[in-house]
Amino acid sequence: MDKQPPLIYLNNAATSWPKPPEVLAEVAACLRAPVYEAGRTTGTGTTDYPAATRAALAEFFHAGPPEHFVFSANATDALNLLIHGFAKQNPSPFHVVTTELEHNSVLRPLKALEQEGRIALSIVPFRDGRVDPAVIRNSLRPETRLVVMSHGSNVLGSVQEVKPVAEYLAANDIFFIIDGAQAAGHIPVDCTDIPAGAYVFTGHKALFGIPGTGGFFISDPGAVAITRQGGTGTDSRSHAQPADMPARFETGTPNYPGIASLLAGIRFIRSTGMDAIRRREMALTQQFTRLLKRTRGITLYNEAPDLPVISFNIGSIGNDEAGFILAKAYNVITRTGLHCAPLVHERIDGGKGCIRASLSFFNTEGEVEAATTAVREVAAGADR
Amino acid sequence: MKEYLLDEPLTEGFLEFLERFGTVRRLEQLKKPYFSFEKEHFISIRGFLGDPAVEVRYRKIAADLVADYFHLLLYYEREGEPGIAKLQGIGDAIGEKIRIRLGTPGHDPS
Repeated sequence: MDKQPPLIYLNNAATSWPKPPEVLAEVAACLRAPVYEAGRTTGTGTTDYPAATRAALAEFFHAGPPEHFVFSANATDALNLLIHGFAKQNPSPFHVVTTELEHNSVLRPLKALEQEGRIALSIVPFRDGRVDPAVIRNSLRPETRLVVMSHGSNVLGSVQEVKPVAEYLAANDIFFIIDGAQAAGHIPVDCTDIPAGAYVFTGHKALFGIPGTGGFFISDPGAVAITRQGGTGTDSRSHAQPADMPARFETGTPNYPGIASLLAGIRFIRSTGMDAIRRREMALTQQFTRLLKRTRGITLYNEAPDLPVISFNIGSIGNDEAGFILAKAYNVITRTGLHCAPLVHERIDGGKGCIRASLSFFNTEGEVEAATTAVREVAAGADR
Repeated sequence: MKEYLLDEPLTEGFLEFLERFGTVRRLEQLKKPYFSFEKEHFISIRGFLGDPAVEVRYRKIAADLVADYFHLLLYYEREGEPGIAKLQGIGDAIGEKIRIRLGTPGHDPS
């Protein structure tokens, strides 16, 4: 058997790899000693990771107080907590607006509420990869109470204009949840400048933490009901879940190593510089799209993505098959299928799905060259 | 889905044998010549000529039946023409069992 070519990992929109060495070191450091968090142990440690990470998040997202940053298992967990918690807090039925660009972590909770008769749901279209803020405005009704929208598309790599949407909704007392899973870490996010009700992030993509991390910032915690009850390390005599932050939304033992990884990931981004990271990612993305553009047999679904996400299909080969060939024959790792965003695919590829390559700061020009050469070879082979 | 590592690399002869039981597709101009074999609603196999690893896909509900069929494909290929006749009969029987399982109420056809 031929020697396997070097691994080229292009699935960073699913989870980033590799992680910075600093992240791995911090996880190891966290696990080398008993964990420390005020209220949960009599031990003393050097780092209260939850407190330190909340402070780092507050600085990173330009928002506060730090206690309004809530940890969750991932962005999906955060979105479920917010969407179902908001629904519990508001009399049914009420109207919700979302978009065709959304991930199932938004669509499925909303569809479940719609099927229960608790909400009426409007899903607005996108055009050229973007949702026009005016379309959101025009879809609002007197009974609209909630809008949920992604900041960055995980299929098209387009960044949405969430700021004007947030400003309008805030002025009209409509709660706005932004799914920043694909944006945070790739582009600067200022939660003071974007007056959303809640901003969701995931820890294990562009923030370079390990899987099992995510969370959200919430400006008014009272807008979302408590939906989970359990141990918080505080006020144990009470049978009621504490209403103060962050205990209102966090129960059980935190994912300390995950939170430690998130702290290290944010520090890495700050020390490297968000601008430097963005310049590199976009240079690689532009190299990738340039090398595939106008190649016979390759369909690119967004030739100028705002994020390092490139979705495409190869001629007559199914995307699943193409992804298999790229992985096994060329050791190029991508993702194929519907990417948990079925409505986007109904619009761009008739619902068949596509291949998605997603880059990170750690990819190289050589890897992009090799990966695009592989894609072109597969396209040429399929053409014969 | 399951990946199998065979004792020997896949050969053109095995692909010609598979063609007697379903649809074989080849992409020969790639870095490694690729093939896929499909017997609809039953089994799909894909891999590369000269590699010993293949990926076998099947419905979860029929995993045991498909595993049996796959091993029988490997076994009867060695018998040549007599093996083909035997395997066609066995394949029909296994296919019928899979159809029954897929059609049984309470079983998820997806």
